[in-house]
Amino acid sequence: MKKYLAVFKINLLNSLTYPAELVTRSAMILLFMWIFFQLWRITFTAAGSDIINSLSLRDTMWYLLLAETLELGRPRLARVISEQVKDGSIAYLLNKPYNFLLYQLSSGLGESLPRMGMLFVLGGAQVWAMAGPPPDLVNWPIALVALAGAWLLHFCVNALIGLSAFAVEEVAPFEWIYQKLVFILGGMLIPLDFYPVWLQTIAKSLPFAYMMYGPARLFVQPDPVFFTQIILGQLLWLAVLGGLLVLVFSRGMKRLAINGG
Amino acid sequence: MPAIQVTNLTKTFRTKRKAAGLGASIRSLFHPEYKTIEAVRGLSFEMESGELLGFIGPNGAGKSTTIKILTGILFPSGGEAKVLGFIPWKQRQKLAYHIGTVFGQRPQLWYHLPAIDTLILFGKIYEMEDRETRRRIAELAEVFEITDLLETPVRKLSLGQRMRCEVAASLLHKPKLLLLDEPSIGLDVVAKQHIRDALREMAKQENVGVLLTSHDAGDLEALCKRVIIINHGQIIYQDKVSTLKRSFLNSKLVEVRYAEQIPTGFHIEGTETLKVAKERYGVKLRFDPRITPVEKVMVALSAAGTLVDITVSDPPLEEVIAAIYKKGASPSPLLERGTG
Repeated sequence: MKKYLAVFKINLLNSLTYPAELVTRSAMILLFMWIFFQLWRITFTAAGSDIINSLSLRDTMWYLLLAETLELGRPRLARVISEQVKDGSIAYLLNKPYNFLLYQLSSGLGESLPRMGMLFVLGGAQVWAMAGPPPDLVNWPIALVALAGAWLLHFCVNALIGLSAFAVEEVAPFEWIYQKLVFILGGMLIPLDFYPVWLQTIAKSLPFAYMMYGPARLFVQPDPVFFTQIILGQLLWLAVLGGLLVLVFSRGMKRLAINGG
Repeated sequence: MPAIQVTNLTKTFRTKRKAAGLGASIRSLFHPEYKTIEAVRGLSFEMESGELLGFIGPNGAGKSTTIKILTGILFPSGGEAKVLGFIPWKQRQKLAYHIGTVFGQRPQLWYHLPAIDTLILFGKIYEMEDRETRRRIAELAEVFEITDLLETPVRKLSLGQRMRCEVAASLLHKPKLLLLDEPSIGLDVVAKQHIRDALREMAKQENVGVLLTSHDAGDLEALCKRVIIINHGQIIYQDKVSTLKRSFLNSKLVEVRYAEQIPTGFHIEGTETLKVAKERYGVKLRFDPRITPVEKVMVALSAAGTLVDITVSDPPLEEVIAAIYKKGASPSPLLERGTG
């Protein structure tokens, strides 16, 4: 495990090399949260109610903050792997004595954590000022557990898309589709609670809800039953997607063609 | 046990073929056409442990593909290979503990961080004790003369300095075999010499086998005892470097530039004039140093006018390969020369 911890650390170090860049890039969340606030403020006013489907404006904003933090802070692994295949640098990653997937996991975590932290701090300060204080402190560890599961699910899907570069090289279209599915069926733009029941049922039977809606919803309204559902769902999807990832990697290695000979 | 045993190794790639233009692009969407490239064609050779073997050939000859198969990154399409007793593509991770690699065109050091950070990371990856990693870094830093460079972010190093750090990084875990893919590409003469000297010293000190690919015949002369030349994925020549030098690397090329125009019919005794520049300020000559000593040519050249620039080089590998084909008519008779 020491080697993966070292990979995590060096990525963390690398992410913190340019603090100004980290802050500037993370500051884009301010714009997104401001737009969300304007949209949802008007929606709540138009509905003439402080609560829609059990969520207040404050809940909605903190929900969206967590979802945006995850979306903007997760590593862009699909792009990273496809670039590594395109420029041939994957050769160096494959000839070291470690598990390639665990290397990417540790590396992605090291890259992601500072960004997610900065996004949450900046966006959180803004949401607090606009919509009110954050959810109760007891909600935080519950949301963190679900957030970790969601991050791992994102990792699996992203790595699967990245590994498709072994066969097709250009993975941007797959990444685009995946991102839009997370936006809509993951509840990133609109919490799933605001969808019609039939669409909620479809969304909750797919992995995307466990990648975004689950942790964000638990952050604002933790509930033991819902927490159990989310964690079990995440474990199930992690088993499916993780298994698929291992299979695709071992098959993909046989097909790999590294550019430049 | 040989460090490397390769028998009848082949690797084919399938790539999409598309004619130029928008129409062809649209057609290829519906009826894609593929072409098969045979990068390696029935390669067989052996390398003893501790041997310094040059594996050379022009661009696209199949050198890098072979190295990548030998490190386990690529699966071959056919044939067998064993590296230090491991089948590379089946035992990639186990093999990785015993080999070091440098792919000259691609950096393995973290670009924004000082090289020392990557070296410490590699120490952890190769499961070395921290104290051992530190000791080894100091040792390598001395041989490669990189002590003062280790704490500078890699992006601020020159290519030559970076390559010294890259090669040092590949030796950190005391590999038994070093696979170097074009380690001197893009380097100036001084930087090349620096790396060659350090590599020679390390190989001698630690009995590391070195398989070196290059399309620079100078690397070969400086480092290797034996050479394999491949072209179009096949071995066209294998013998001692000394034999190769005697047979094919027996001429030097000199390019000279003068401050004033050279006269018509310019000739230096014992040399062959290959080309005179259009404006008549420069000339390219070839000579055999065994017949005409280098010193004699230099004296004659400087006596002929005011020298502005002078470059002496070996004939390009393409010429050597052409000479090999010419001499042997086909690859097979040359292969019968044995391994030397």
